[in-house]
Amino acid sequence: MEQETILSEEFEITGGDFINGGMASCRIKNILKEIGIDAEIMRRVAIASYEAEMNVVMYAKKGKMKLILTPHRIVIKVEDEGPGIPDIELAMQPGYSTATPEMREMGFGAGMGLPNIQKNADIFNINSTVGKGTNLQIVINLNNKNV
Amino acid sequence: MSDPIPYHSIKVDEKKCIGCVVCMKVCPTKAIRIKEKKAAVNAERCIDCGECYRACPYGAITPLTTKTSDITRFKIKVALPSPVLYSQFGSNIMPDQILNALKAIGFDYVYDESLACEMISIAIEEYLERNKSPRPIISSTCPVVVRLIQRLFPSLVSLIIRMEPPREIAAKNLKKELSKEHKISEQDIGIFHITSCPAKMVSINKPETMEKSYLDGAISIKEIYNQLMAQLKKEEHNFILQTQSQASGIGIGWAISGGEIRGIKQDASVSVSGVHDTIRILSDVESGKIKNIEYLECLICPDGCIGGPLTVENRFLAKSHILKLIRKFGRKNRIDISYVKQLYDKNFFSFERNIQPKPFPPLDPDKNEAIKKLKKKERILKNLPGINCGVCGAPDCESFAEDLVKGEKGLTIGRCVFLGE
Repeated sequence: MEQETILSEEFEITGGDFINGGMASCRIKNILKEIGIDAEIMRRVAIASYEAEMNVVMYAKKGKMKLILTPHRIVIKVEDEGPGIPDIELAMQPGYSTATPEMREMGFGAGMGLPNIQKNADIFNINSTVGKGTNLQIVINLNNKNV
Repeated sequence: MSDPIPYHSIKVDEKKCIGCVVCMKVCPTKAIRIKEKKAAVNAERCIDCGECYRACPYGAITPLTTKTSDITRFKIKVALPSPVLYSQFGSNIMPDQILNALKAIGFDYVYDESLACEMISIAIEEYLERNKSPRPIISSTCPVVVRLIQRLFPSLVSLIIRMEPPREIAAKNLKKELSKEHKISEQDIGIFHITSCPAKMVSINKPETMEKSYLDGAISIKEIYNQLMAQLKKEEHNFILQTQSQASGIGIGWAISGGEIRGIKQDASVSVSGVHDTIRILSDVESGKIKNIEYLECLICPDGCIGGPLTVENRFLAKSHILKLIRKFGRKNRIDISYVKQLYDKNFFSFERNIQPKPFPPLDPDKNEAIKKLKKKERILKNLPGINCGVCGAPDCESFAEDLVKGEKGLTIGRCVFLGE
């Protein structure tokens, strides 16, 4: 059963906007600091949400990132309108990337995005439909001291 | 005993302060409010960066460094000049002359900090090689950067290199050697850093990583400058230039941004200086944006320590002088590498205790209350004009909204001149 939501915020992400890319995850980071979430948990959220946001910026037309806080966990949901991922298993392999040379020149596309999200998440779900888009759900549990 | 109010290296002179908002606007941690026409510093938020001191047009911010008259209480007085001092007297005055002048004005011993800098460069390289902890490892040299990380980026505290900066390592060595040589107690030896930065006083009076600092004070370059200049003039004609100074360009180079990484052979190193760029890069590190970087040198002053607020020489000229000295003294190590490795093995460079994160308090200690206050803050913020004029006494509308929801005494939304009473 889904736990009671105590905070829910949604942020728009624009595909191709590398200048503002990272704003949503930065905003989430600041919210978590203001409500006193433990620094290590906050950092895991910051890294996972930044990677997820940049995936939308790099590959999709647009997307939404949602922060949901419950008494025991932080949930980040990312939905995008993008090309979708044909082979999720392959995309999850460290080093696999479909980034263009331009993206690589900007320092992206090392193929570590999804594995990095998974590494920092307690639960990570990914669903994708080719031609429609990709949905991510990232769950990071709060320690007892944060409850 | 409860923790007293944090010690700071600068103080507001209420007689001179007219509440002009300049310091409040430049403070990177939003620690300053104008209350009853005077600047009031929130001790919990201040990181001693000195931006307010630099900006104040009325000279109302005073640095609390050691006065030269204070050194007399020690039997043996030692000066430990930062290599920044070598950049302050033009490009024709050599380090040896400055060291001699320091001795002539009343110090029993003068130790060139750049030797310790060179030593630490070797030790950093050793640390990077032996330590496989997450990257980037962040320099611990600038005491303000350490405080900034503790406060603003608490999750990065574990990335700070667990190694004391050159000034402490030099002082530790000196105390040991001199007390042995003169057979006197370490307490009778006073070691004073000659510094461009008031924040060194904080790391001396309230060290984060040890029980007690090995230094006994920090004398501002501004304070000692005239005396040194007079001495240098006096010595001008009878000084035989000694070019066998022990320092190398590696150590002297620590005076400017990039000095630390210039001394190590690790290519994947980055140096950043200035408070805003430092905040920007640390924020990127926190989000995991910075990849494949081994070592990150951050210095809070523009261009590094030569940009310190307690210097006299124009920063750009000072930088040029240091670059000239780096060329002159070369990049060949003068310090015995195997000696440094021996000390490293004995943990001579290591912190006595780890740095603790000290994040700013959340909007409320209770998470549910904090979320309520966060929503209230957003509602208030929507009503405020958003032009961040500072007339209310807070640096921007967001800080004003935050002060309101935190329930600051006597503060109402009517303080905003655009909304009126």
